[in-house]
Amino acid sequence: MRQAFIVEFSKLVRSRVGKIGATVLIAGVSLVCVAMYLGAHSGDPQVVAKLGSIDPTTWFGFFNMAIQVTGTGGLLGFGVVLAWQFAREFSDGTITGLFALPVSRMQIAFAKLAAFSLWATLVSILLVATLTLVAFGLQLSGDIGTGVFREFLLCLMSILVALPVALVATLGRSILAGVGAVIGLVVVAQIAVIMGAGGWYTLAAPALWAISEGEKASPLQLSLLFPVAGVFIVLTGWVWRTLQLDR
Amino acid sequence: MTSKNPQIRIAAQEVTRQFANGSGVFAADLKVHAGEIVALIGLNGAGKTTLMKLLLGMLKPDSGNVEINGRNISSMPAADWKVVGHVIEYPLAYPELTVRQNLQLVSRLRDSNDPHGTDVIIKELSLGMYADRGVRSLSLGNRQRVGLASALMHHPEVVVLDEPTNSLDPAGVIALRDALHRCVARGAGVLVSSHHLDEVSRLANRILVMNGGRIIGQLPPGEANLEHAFFELVRQDDEERNKS
Repeated sequence: MRQAFIVEFSKLVRSRVGKIGATVLIAGVSLVCVAMYLGAHSGDPQVVAKLGSIDPTTWFGFFNMAIQVTGTGGLLGFGVVLAWQFAREFSDGTITGLFALPVSRMQIAFAKLAAFSLWATLVSILLVATLTLVAFGLQLSGDIGTGVFREFLLCLMSILVALPVALVATLGRSILAGVGAVIGLVVVAQIAVIMGAGGWYTLAAPALWAISEGEKASPLQLSLLFPVAGVFIVLTGWVWRTLQLDR
Repeated sequence: MTSKNPQIRIAAQEVTRQFANGSGVFAADLKVHAGEIVALIGLNGAGKTTLMKLLLGMLKPDSGNVEINGRNISSMPAADWKVVGHVIEYPLAYPELTVRQNLQLVSRLRDSNDPHGTDVIIKELSLGMYADRGVRSLSLGNRQRVGLASALMHHPEVVVLDEPTNSLDPAGVIALRDALHRCVARGAGVLVSSHHLDEVSRLANRILVMNGGRIIGQLPPGEANLEHAFFELVRQDDEERNKS
């Protein structure tokens, strides 16, 4: 398992997808927040109207905005990278080389998930560090508050939220299937929130929790994320274990 | 029936796997002994790759057994696959990594203890000038060499190669032939599939002919008119199957 993890992590961090994914997530979220700050700072009425009650010139508002962007953007970014990580073995044809090895395919699948989780955690740390540095640079007003903490926890929970994508990418054997699953997760989360079931829709609970400062998702609702993620981890491992190259 | 003879590297007994469209592999019996190279030849769709996938656990047979070094693969622990090296359809070579990085990572996956394995195989397959280049920038032939290197670098006892000379230039074919002869000299059993009858004739100790998912016969290597003998065997088999 250790060897498989080293292999999978090396592949991910050296890949263009891993590098571009990390850059887009960190730079993308930061630039959107800076753009909104500049818009609000200049008093542009259109931007101010779009922001509503959020004031990105304060620590609280700046990080609330980052949380809103990360709620969707983080899941999209993590999900696309995870979809590629699993589906590329089928699209590149390298899956045949992952059979008949002293490392089982279930171990390879778990190693992929572990490598993805480590990569995404590192990206999360860099994203929060970048946002914090930017916030200091912009000399935001007010107290630092819980925004940094909520943003970081949302990033970490987004890793778990993205895990079903690995299963779909494997079953579909294509990156497109995985990307479709990511989009599906985002769309269903939006619908669940609109319908009022957001907190109980486990995969939407982290974003709802972070945005509402814990009001719209209880600790119980949040904790359901762990068994749900566990089920998808086990299912993904099982599918890799029983995989046959029959199509 | 089980073969406990360790000198039999690969044994397939009555292996059948049929796909929904009716194609597949039917009642395939095959043995590859230590120190021999067996070639599988057949037209496109004859079932060569499917049979190799069955031998390597990529497909489960509907019936029949496959054994590697006398152990049934359906109950074999993952660690026992350590003795196998293979390339099926595509080489295990990741474009984002250099040749050396690819081989080092595969060495980890194959649990190879040879610290010099990467350098040795790079030299044996003449990959030295490409060793620190990304696989993305290599020609198809050199990617194939990387795949072959990753299959052979850990001195496997069982080698299964599907169309290994595809995309290789003549120098690559000779390098592969030499590498396979070194493998069998160490006691490996080698199974290769190929379309190149001349190459197979030079390389193999035995030549098995597949047609319509069945192993229909055997041809002597070195025969002057191997191509004619092959097509005659296939024609006879087609006629017999059309009658029934």
